[in-house]
Amino acid sequence: MAQVVFSSWGRTIVDNRAGGEVKEASFRLPTTFDGEKSLAAFMGWDGIILYDKNVDVPAMAAEYMRRVQTLYCCGKCTPGKKGTKVLADVLTAIAEGRAKEADLDTIEDLADLLTSCKCTLCQSSTVPVLDAVKHFRDDFIARLSGSRMVADRHRFIDKYTAPCMDRCPAHIDIPAYIEAIKEYRFDESLSVIRDNMPLPSVCGRVCPHPCETHCRRKNVDDAVSIMVLKRSASDYEWMHNMAPPMQPKPRKGKTVAVVGAGPAGLACAYYLALEGYPVTIYEALPEGFGGGMIAVGIPPYRQPRHLLQRDIDIIASMGVEIIYDTRIGKDISLEELKQKFDAVFLAPGAHRSKPMGVEGEDKGYKGFLKGGIDFLREAYMGRPTGMGKKVVVVGGGNTAIDCVRVALREGAEESVLLYRRSRKEMPADVWEVDGADDEGVRFEFQVLPTRIIVDENEQVTGVECLRMALGEPDASGRRRPEPVAGSEFVVECDTVIPAIGQDPDLSFIPDNLGIDITKWNTIVTKYIPLKDAAGKELKDGMGNPLVRTLITDLDGVFAGGDAEIGPLTVVACIGNAHRAARVIQRWLEEGKAYLTDDEFIEDILTNLPVYDKGEQVPWLDSVAREHQAEIHGRERAGYKNYQEVELGFVDSQAVREAERCLRCYRVAMVAV
Amino acid sequence: MVSLTIDGKDIRVAKGSTILEAAELLGITIPTLCWLRKVSPTGACRVCAVEVEGVDRPMTACNTTVKDGIKVTTQSEKLAKIRTKIMELMLVNHPLDCPVCDAGGECDLQNSCYSLGASKQEYGAVLERRTIRYDWPLIESDPNRCILCEKCVKVDHEVVGCDAIEVVNRGEATIIDTHDGKPLNCEFCGNCVGVCPTGTLISKPFKFRGRPWAFTVTKSVCPFCATGCQIEYHSRNGRVERVTSDDETYNSGNLCINGRFGYSYANSSDRLTDPVVRGAKADWNAAMGAAVAGIKDVVGKHGSDAVAGIGSPRLTNEENYLFQKLFRAGIGTNNLDSEARLGYASAQKVLRDMVGITGASAAIDAIDGAAAVLVIGCDLNAEATGMEYRVIKAATKNDAKLVLANMRGVKLKKFANSHLKYRPGSEVAVITALTKLILDEGLEDKDFVGSRVNNLAELKAALSGVSLADVAAGAGLTEADLRAAAKLVGGKKTVAVIFGADIMRCGQANDAVKALVNLALILGALGKEAGGLFPVYEKTNIQGVLNMGVVPDSLPGYQPLSAAAAFENAWGRKLPETAGKDFWQIVEGIEQGSVKALYLLGCDPIASFPEGGRIRKALEKLELLVVQDAFPGEAAKLAHVLLPASVAAEKTGTFTTIDGRLQCLGKAANPPGDAREDWDILTELYNRLTGESRAATPAGIFAEMADLVPRYAAALESGRVGTSPHAGSFELAPAVSGTVDAADPSSPFALVAGAILYHSGTTTSWSKNNLEIAPEGYIEIHPEDAAKLGIVDGAGVKISAAAGSATGQARVSAKVQPGLVFAPYHFRSMNVNSLLGRGAVFTAVKVEKA
Repeated sequence: MAQVVFSSWGRTIVDNRAGGEVKEASFRLPTTFDGEKSLAAFMGWDGIILYDKNVDVPAMAAEYMRRVQTLYCCGKCTPGKKGTKVLADVLTAIAEGRAKEADLDTIEDLADLLTSCKCTLCQSSTVPVLDAVKHFRDDFIARLSGSRMVADRHRFIDKYTAPCMDRCPAHIDIPAYIEAIKEYRFDESLSVIRDNMPLPSVCGRVCPHPCETHCRRKNVDDAVSIMVLKRSASDYEWMHNMAPPMQPKPRKGKTVAVVGAGPAGLACAYYLALEGYPVTIYEALPEGFGGGMIAVGIPPYRQPRHLLQRDIDIIASMGVEIIYDTRIGKDISLEELKQKFDAVFLAPGAHRSKPMGVEGEDKGYKGFLKGGIDFLREAYMGRPTGMGKKVVVVGGGNTAIDCVRVALREGAEESVLLYRRSRKEMPADVWEVDGADDEGVRFEFQVLPTRIIVDENEQVTGVECLRMALGEPDASGRRRPEPVAGSEFVVECDTVIPAIGQDPDLSFIPDNLGIDITKWNTIVTKYIPLKDAAGKELKDGMGNPLVRTLITDLDGVFAGGDAEIGPLTVVACIGNAHRAARVIQRWLEEGKAYLTDDEFIEDILTNLPVYDKGEQVPWLDSVAREHQAEIHGRERAGYKNYQEVELGFVDSQAVREAERCLRCYRVAMVAV
Repeated sequence: MVSLTIDGKDIRVAKGSTILEAAELLGITIPTLCWLRKVSPTGACRVCAVEVEGVDRPMTACNTTVKDGIKVTTQSEKLAKIRTKIMELMLVNHPLDCPVCDAGGECDLQNSCYSLGASKQEYGAVLERRTIRYDWPLIESDPNRCILCEKCVKVDHEVVGCDAIEVVNRGEATIIDTHDGKPLNCEFCGNCVGVCPTGTLISKPFKFRGRPWAFTVTKSVCPFCATGCQIEYHSRNGRVERVTSDDETYNSGNLCINGRFGYSYANSSDRLTDPVVRGAKADWNAAMGAAVAGIKDVVGKHGSDAVAGIGSPRLTNEENYLFQKLFRAGIGTNNLDSEARLGYASAQKVLRDMVGITGASAAIDAIDGAAAVLVIGCDLNAEATGMEYRVIKAATKNDAKLVLANMRGVKLKKFANSHLKYRPGSEVAVITALTKLILDEGLEDKDFVGSRVNNLAELKAALSGVSLADVAAGAGLTEADLRAAAKLVGGKKTVAVIFGADIMRCGQANDAVKALVNLALILGALGKEAGGLFPVYEKTNIQGVLNMGVVPDSLPGYQPLSAAAAFENAWGRKLPETAGKDFWQIVEGIEQGSVKALYLLGCDPIASFPEGGRIRKALEKLELLVVQDAFPGEAAKLAHVLLPASVAAEKTGTFTTIDGRLQCLGKAANPPGDAREDWDILTELYNRLTGESRAATPAGIFAEMADLVPRYAAALESGRVGTSPHAGSFELAPAVSGTVDAADPSSPFALVAGAILYHSGTTTSWSKNNLEIAPEGYIEIHPEDAAKLGIVDGAGVKISAAAGSATGQARVSAKVQPGLVFAPYHFRSMNVNSLLGRGAVFTAVKVEKA
C-alpha cells in the first residue's frame, strides 16, 4: 500500500518525512497513473501530495509554475499575467541555483497579492508553491547555494481543468464558453462548446447538467445556469442564420461505420468526420427521426425537433452519411459492416422497456402498453399509441414524467403518475416533475402497483395498488419502502404505461463474434485497471471500470453510449463517444487502441474530483441566478401542443448570468 | 433601488449598478485603468479593488454589482498596498521609452503610476520582447507597451463589431494581435487607438508629429457623413495633425476611418491655393471681378434666370444660407439646387407630406433602445458608420431584433436575425409584402394605429390583392423569409426604421418611401421614447442644404415663395416670385441655351452625379462657370472662374444633421495659400453684386438666418432643430404596387453603385490616409457569375451601360448576388456614377473581362 510521504491537500498537513509513527492520509487517487507507472506526487490547487520522497519538490514547483504561466495563464489580469511570470522566473532561478534567500519572500508576497486575481487559475497555483516553500524550505535553501542538485527522473503531466468542466462527462471547457458570452462573443462560445459537444442545441436544453452540481458559484449562492448559457450560444447561431464555421480536415481513406444515430453515434461520427474520416451511420428509424433517444425519448416541447434536426444536419454536412431505416442484424449484419468498414462503432442505445413486475402485465391486455419509451416513440412519430383517456404511468424517472406530460398532449383527460417512493426521491429531474405538476398531472407517491384490473374484454379498467411506508434502515442505512398491509386501493384508468427503465437490445450482436456482454446487458470494452491505496479498483458512477479504451474484444469494433455505459444521459454518451472517436482514430492510424496521458489524468481527476463543496469561497453574492422565461399553465400541454415550454435567455440576460461565473480554472500536475 | 455604504457615506442606487457607479454618485473616486464606460467591464487591471465588509477578498469595483446593506471601503492601507504593487507588476518589463513614446504626456499608465505611488520596482523577470508591428497600415502596434486592459479589443468587438484584433497567446506572451497574425485589415476606425491608455496602439500618420501637449485642441464636428460625430482637431502651425473624440460626446468618442483619419484631405498638396480666371492664376480682386462681371453680363443679356447655382452638403448652414441669398437677392433667381435632388429631397418631401417631419423623426440615440430595427436599402457601414454603431448596440446590448433588407451582404448581416437579399427593382414590393404580413398576422401597433391612423381599412383592402408568392419570386426571396422578417419587426414596443441610398435612389423611390412610411406607421415606429424613422445620407450637411432653402421652389425653412416678404424686409431686396429650375432642369436649360451661367459651390457633378458625361458636355457649353471649391475636381478644370475655398477644419459655422442636431464647427487650421473661407467669399461676392458693403462673420450670418428660419434661434441653446411627427392623425399612402420591375432580359447584370466605408463622397479621394487603405475602385461580382465569365479575383473587369463604361479590378465575393455587380462611386478615375441614369443608383450593364 502506497504511503503518503507528505500532504498538504485540503489544508491538512500530513508529514511522514521524518519517519516515526506513520500518519495516515488517503485520497481518491490511484496508485499508478496508467496501470504501470507509479504516481509519485500530485500538485494542484489544494496543495501537494507526495508519495515518493525522491521527487524534487523545488523543481516540481518551478515546473508547475512555469506551465501555469506559459501554457495556461490567460494574461487577462495584471497580477495573474505578471505575478506568475515573476514567480515562474524566481522559482526557476532557485531551482537552477541562481537565486537569493530573499527571493523566497517574493514568493510569499506575490502569493498574497495574487488573491486579487480575476479568476482562480493563477491564484490557486500559488497554493502548492507556497506549501512547497513553507514545508520544503530546506530543499529550496539548499538549491539557492547550488549545493544540492538532484537528478530527478520523474516525468510531469499536467491538466488544466475546472470543477464544472471536470464534472461534465463531455468535459466541455465551460468557463471558456461562459467567458465568451460575457464578452458578447456567442459565436466563439459555440465554437468552444462544439470542441466537446456536437449537439449544443440539445445539451443546452435537456442536459441534466451535472456541471451545475459542481459549480463553485454554489458555494457563494446558486450555481451558474451553465446549461441555458449553452443554449444561448447555440440559439445565437441559429437566430442569426450563421453558417457553422467548422471545416473538416482533408478526406482520409479509411472508413468507419456507426450503429445508431443517437447522441453517441452522432458524436463519434462528428469528431471522426472532422478528422477527415468518411463515416456512415446506420439508423433503424426512418429519415426525419434521427437522434436516437433524444428524438424518440425526449418530447418536442423539451427539445424542438427542428433544432435537433439542425444539429444533425450540421453533423451530416461535415461528411457523415446517415442511412436511415436500416436495422443492423436485420437489414445488414454486423459481420458485413465489419468487413465493409475499417472500424465499427456500436452505439445502439437502450430502447427496450424493462418489465414492471406486476401481475397481469404479460397477458396482452388492451390498454396495457409495452413501455414508456415505446409510447414516447409512437407519439413522436405520430403513430397510434394505443392510449385511452385515463392514463396511468408507473415509474419515477424522466421517461415516466415525459409519458404523463405527453399523455396530456395526446389528449388524455387524466394523467396519473404512480411512484413507490416519495417525490423527493424521484430520480427524475426536479424541474421536470414541477413541469408535470404545472400541467395538471396527478401524482400518487409511495404506492406499489400490484395487479392490473381488466374487464370481460380484457380491457384495462384500473390498477390495484398498495400504499408504501418506510421500513427499518437496512445494512446500508437506507430505509426501504415497504407495503402497508391492508392498504389496497384501485386507481381507475383505461391505460397503463410502465416506465420503469430501459436496457439495450443487443440481439444484433451474434454470439460467435467474440464481443462480450455484461450481466446488465451492456457491451464489454477493454479497460485499464487503476486501484486506490486500499487496493480497490476505481469505478465510474455506473459501476464500470473508471478508465476504458472503448474497444470491444473484437478488433476494430468499438462501443459506446447507453449500450456500453448502461442507460445514462445524453452528455455522458457524448463524452464517451468523443473518447471512442479519438481511440478509433489512433487505432486506424497506429493500429493500437490506447489512451493518452491527458485522458488518464482526466479520468483520475474526475474520480478525485475537482470540486470541493466544503470550500469557503469569498465573493459578494450580489447577483442572483437568472431564470429563463417559460410558458406556464395547463394550456401549454393542450392537445397536440408540442410548442417549446422553456424559452431560453435573451442575450443581455445571458451576459448577466455569464458574469456570475467565477472562472474556477486550476492546474493539476502529477509526477510519475 | 439598493442601499449601501461607501466609506461611511450612505447612498441609494439603481439595482444592478456597480460599486464604481455608486461611488461616482457619491463623488468618491476609485482608481481605474482598464475600465471604459462604453464597453462591458473587463476587470483586468485590478486597481479598482475595494473591500466589502464580510467578504474575505478584495472585490473589483468596476464589475461588482451592489447589494443591499453592504459596507464598502475604497481607501485603506491594505488597498493602497495592493494598488501600488499591481502598478509595480504592470511595469515589469514595460519599456521605459516614454521620451519617444507617442503617448508620453497623455498616458494613463504614467498617470496611474504617479497617482498610486508606484515609485520603485520590487519585482523583476526575465525580459521578453515582442515584435513591434510596423507593417500595419495607419496604425502601429507595440505590444511591449501593452498593459492588456483590453479596451481596444472590446471597442473593436462591442462598439464597432469588426473583430479585427483579439487577445492571443498565454502568460507573459499574451498580446493584442490580429487573429491570424497578419497585418491589420479592418475598418481602420482607429477607435482602438482612441481608447488605448498607453502608446501600444498609435496612429501612424500622427507619429512623431509632435508632443501631445504642443497641439491646439479645437472642438468641432466631423465633416463627412450625416451622423455628425463630435470631434477634436489637434492642430499645430495652422495644420490639423490628428482627430480624436472624447468619450463624453454624443458619439461616445467613437469615429470611423473618415472621422479619425480623413482629415488628411485638408493637408493634400492638391488643394487649390490661388484664384484662377480663364486658366490663369489671378488675385482675388481679379477673380471676384471676373465672377461678378460674368454674372452681370449674363443677367444683362439673358435675364436672371439664365444663372443657376448648386449648393453643397459639405458646406455649413451659414454658407448655404448665403448662397441662396446670393442667388435670390443678389442675382434674382430661384435656380438653386443641390445633390439632394438625387434622392434625399424627394424622400424628405414624402416625410414632410405624410408625417410632417423634415428629417429623421427622432434623434439617432433613439435607435439604441429600439426593440426591433429594420435597416432597408442602406449600407450603414458606408453611409453613416456612427449610426451603424448604434444599431449594433441595439442588437447586441439591448436585445433588439434586427432585419436587414439589402441587395448585398453588408456588414450588418452578421448582427441581423434576417437578411432579405432582395433583387434590384423589388424595393416597393418587399416593403409592401412586409406591411401586408404584419397586418395579416395582427402584428401592427394596434394602439397607435387605432388612435393615430385614419385609413387602415383602405390600405388593407389594397393589400389584399398583393400576392406574397409573386413578391417573393420577383424579389428572389422565399415567403418564409418575408414572414420571418415581418415577425421580427412586428409586435414590438418600439421599432426603428432606417433607410438609405438604395431606397432613396431606387427607380420607384417615391413609392418606396411612401410604402416605408406606411410600414413605419403601422409598426408604431413614430413618436415613442425609442425607435423612429431615420433617413440616411452619406454627406454631412444635406439637411442644412434643404433647411437653408438651397432648393428651387421654397425659401429657407421650407417657407413658400409667396412668403418672401419677411426675407425681402430683412435683405432689403426684391425676391423672384417664380420657382426656379431643379438640377436636371438646369442641365436641360444649359443644353437648350436658356441657362448660360452656373455657379458650383463645393460640388463636382461630373464626378459625383449620375449622367456625368452629359453634365460635362453641358458645362462645356456655359458662358460662365464659376467653381468655388477646395479641390481641383472635374468641374474645376472647366471653370472660367475658380475660387479656392476652405474645408470644414478651416472655418467656423454650423452643420445640421438629418436627425436635427445643430452643431458648431471650430476653426482649427488655416486655408492653404490664398484660399478663403466659403462664407467670406460668398459675402464679398454678394456685396460686389449688390453694391452693399456689409461685413460678415459666421455668428452674424447665423443670427440673420436664425431670425428667418424657424427653430434655429433656439437651437444654439437646445442643439435641436429637428421636427417631430405632427400631432394629428396620419393618412397612409394609398395602395402601393406589389409588383416587381421586370429585369431587362437583354442585360443580365445590374450595377449597383454606392458608398464604401473607407471613403466619403469624392472628398476623401484627396485624403492620403484613406487612399492608403482604399486606393482605387473595384467591381464586386458573385463567384457564380465570375466563374461563368472566366473572371478571377483581381482580374480586370469592364462594365458598360448606355451612358458609358468603366473598368476596375474584380472582387469575387458572395456578398453580392448573382446578376448583380457592385462598384464604389468615390473614385473620379473610375467614375461609375457616370454609368447611372438620374433615376436610380443601379442600372443594367454588360459585364466582361477587361
